[in-house]
Amino acid sequence: MIIDELNIEDVSPGDIKDEEPLFGKKLGLDSIDAVEIVFQVERTFGVAIKDMKEGRPALQSIHTLAAFIEKRLSQ
Amino acid sequence: MKIEFEHRQAAHCESGVTANLLHHYGIDISEAMAFGIGAGLFFGYLPFIRVNKLPLTTFRCEVGGIFKRLTKRFGFQVRWQKFRDPQKAMDALDRKIAEGVPVGCRTGGYWLPYFPPAFRFHFNMHNLVVVGRENDHYIISDPVFPDLERCHRKDLIKARFAKGVMAPRGTMYYLTRVPEKVSFADAVRNGIRVVCRRMLHTPGPLMGVKGIRYLAKQVKKWPDKLGQRKASLYVTQLIRMQEELGTGGGGFRFMYAAFLQEAAQRLQIPGLQDLSDNMTVVGDRWREFAVIGARNCKGRAGDNDSYAAMARILMECADREEEIYRELLPVIR
Repeated sequence: MIIDELNIEDVSPGDIKDEEPLFGKKLGLDSIDAVEIVFQVERTFGVAIKDMKEGRPALQSIHTLAAFIEKRLSQ
Repeated sequence: MKIEFEHRQAAHCESGVTANLLHHYGIDISEAMAFGIGAGLFFGYLPFIRVNKLPLTTFRCEVGGIFKRLTKRFGFQVRWQKFRDPQKAMDALDRKIAEGVPVGCRTGGYWLPYFPPAFRFHFNMHNLVVVGRENDHYIISDPVFPDLERCHRKDLIKARFAKGVMAPRGTMYYLTRVPEKVSFADAVRNGIRVVCRRMLHTPGPLMGVKGIRYLAKQVKKWPDKLGQRKASLYVTQLIRMQEELGTGGGGFRFMYAAFLQEAAQRLQIPGLQDLSDNMTVVGDRWREFAVIGARNCKGRAGDNDSYAAMARILMECADREEEIYRELLPVIR
């Protein structure tokens, strides 16, 4: 979802390690991209991230984002 | 020296600092409630004020307004200080910390070393509470972070004396008198009245719901008027003001919805819950606007992601918000 929606070139899903920071040099993502990720997470999984208080820890890595979504879906 | 201060993470710095400082003095108040009573919600498109050379758009009231209105309404006394000399500013801060008084400071967030680089840019209205000092490091309760942070003295000086628009000039504030009891019912009603008045009746075309409509018309013109690159920079700035700067998301509309919900439960006012739900819907529309804007900034806009589409969403936000404010006034009477 992240690769497709953010049009990230030259990176495949397998290239992103689960614990790697989402934002920074490797993927070149920044806070404007965070807006799109938040929107896509809500659209794809029905899980809302309403503010950066919950968004910041959730958007650290693929692992933290997946854990956040799973936790919300199980509630 | 470290003051026993309960750090609670918040979505927005000023309402977070306000709630945490009052909580320190025994008032049971959430961030959303502080934001609502402090009449934090607003809209203003101010092209004549430039931040990073781009027009300022604000989704909240004036800096310091939430804290001032809330403390005044509850009967707290506050001491505000500004400084020219960084040394004197730090000495004054040290004295209060040594007395065990938590001190709110206004800072330029860019200079705070604990901000992640990806989220760092020049913004001179960031509030935090200094709750201790250990040698050359200060212990900071920065409400937009999950835990207490440490900041070297030289970095804190840079942040307190950041230059540029709305330079903080060493501003610090602390509570000097705490009331025995506070009344939420009157304070909530007053806070709502202030927001409705400002959003519906602020003179001129740039503020309140009229301001949202004005911005919508401008956004539609930006690509032709400014060129694609500059238009994209204007939109980037707008999104940052809306979604990033500790706004609670949706340009503070989600936080205001949370306030209305809490007020509905706390005061048992019929009708407030429905208006809270409506405000959440508006926040969602603001966020959709931001997503289209982000796609344009990043060069991945599709056929449906035009500037005209953004303008249409803004017009819809203005209409929906106007309806909410007009319905709020009779509900709280």
